[in-house]
Amino acid sequence: MHEVGIMESALALVQRQVTAHRASRADRVVLRIGTLAGVEPESLRFAFDVVSRGTVAEGATLEIESVPAAAYCPTCQQEFAVETGFIFICTGCGDLCGEIRRGRELELSRIEMS
Amino acid sequence: MCVECGCGKSIPFGVKVLSVLAPSLLRPRPATEPAGAGPTMVTPPLASSQTIEVHASLLAKNDDAAGRNRALFSQRRMLALNLVSSPGAGKTTLLSRTLDEFGGETPCAVVVGDLETDNDARRLHRPHVPVAQITTGTACHLDADMVGRGVSALDLAGVRVLFIENVGNLVCPAAFDLGEAVRVVLLSAAEGEDKPLKYPPIFKSAHLVLLTKTDVARVLGFDCAVAADNIRRVAPQAKLIQLSARSGEGLPEWYDFLRTHLPPR
Ligand SMILES: Nc1nc2c(ncn2[C@@H]2O[C@H](COP(=O)(O)OP(=O)(O)O)[C@@H](O)[C@H]2O)c(=O)[nH]1
Ligand SMILES: [Mg+2]
Ligand SMILES: [Zn+2]
Repeated sequence: MHEVGIMESALALVQRQVTAHRASRADRVVLRIGTLAGVEPESLRFAFDVVSRGTVAEGATLEIESVPAAAYCPTCQQEFAVETGFIFICTGCGDLCGEIRRGRELELSRIEMS
Repeated sequence: MCVECGCGKSIPFGVKVLSVLAPSLLRPRPATEPAGAGPTMVTPPLASSQTIEVHASLLAKNDDAAGRNRALFSQRRMLALNLVSSPGAGKTTLLSRTLDEFGGETPCAVVVGDLETDNDARRLHRPHVPVAQITTGTACHLDADMVGRGVSALDLAGVRVLFIENVGNLVCPAAFDLGEAVRVVLLSAAEGEDKPLKYPPIFKSAHLVLLTKTDVARVLGFDCAVAADNIRRVAPQAKLIQLSARSGEGLPEWYDFLRTHLPPR
């Protein structure tokens, strides 16, 4: 459900950018979505299809770049990428880590317009 | 759609959901003639394609509103908590008892969100506690603007603790900062011990996890130690309290948590 609201925000930004650059339509919309953002790419695609109708982004290609999570270990003072799953174990010392450095991204990255 | 997001309410994706769309986005584009429709068609010169880097947060609007809420809470020296769980994990029951016990010594207020009805607000209503109900309609989470409006409807004079009961949902509320100082995620003994593994984003965003309904854990065959271990592994940053709003087990620890997190006056 909240994917619709998020997509509305995205399309409002797209609309503003397309107008500002005196283009007439968006051909490609690229989002960056972290794996911890709590947003399903499939739901976003569905929301895009519905919400983009009748806007400058109708028919545009939606590209979703997934941002893998990264955590920080205070013991080793290092950031490490989380390869799989949601249990963050430091690759240096094996401790469980709770400090998330990346993975919550929810952003409009770029727009191709014409 | 709502089934997908886990909030459990099956709303056909139709008029109801469309009604939340911004009107500007619904405005149809002027009809254009089909391509190749003959010499009468005026084709604008095709601007060359360009790529614009934007890098804008899709939650900027919510985050701005959350910032305003946070400023208000801190200016009033209020502790704001955002309570999140699946439907039925025991948020309202815990808050009711908390208002009676802890609320007797420390003035509290509540903002409660639900898809429909003001049942929870009525359950939480006490002469000494201001309560605002927000019905979200189709939205499966509270956002910061809704909370801001709920809060502005309350008389906050003297209030030290604001409880925000979110809509029952373990998925959607994860992304929405409400301006709270403490995010509390509840997991009840009537759910699976592996829920933290199934809904990691919300657990990872928690400051405090409450394992609720411990009074019925045994009869339901719920292993609190396994659940606690799963919580610790997914959310090592969070404090964990096991409690029952029915038997009262763990409640002193919960009240202590509230007391120690009160902002100094
Ligand atoms: N046994 C037991 N039942 C509880 C407890 N807390 C809540 N419940 C029951 O669980 C159901 C849902 O509780 P409610 O507070 O409405 O959950 P909410 O949807 O999270 O607000 C109700 O029938 C409550 O009586 C508890 O500590 N022990
Ligand atoms: Mg409730
Ligand atoms: Zn380490």
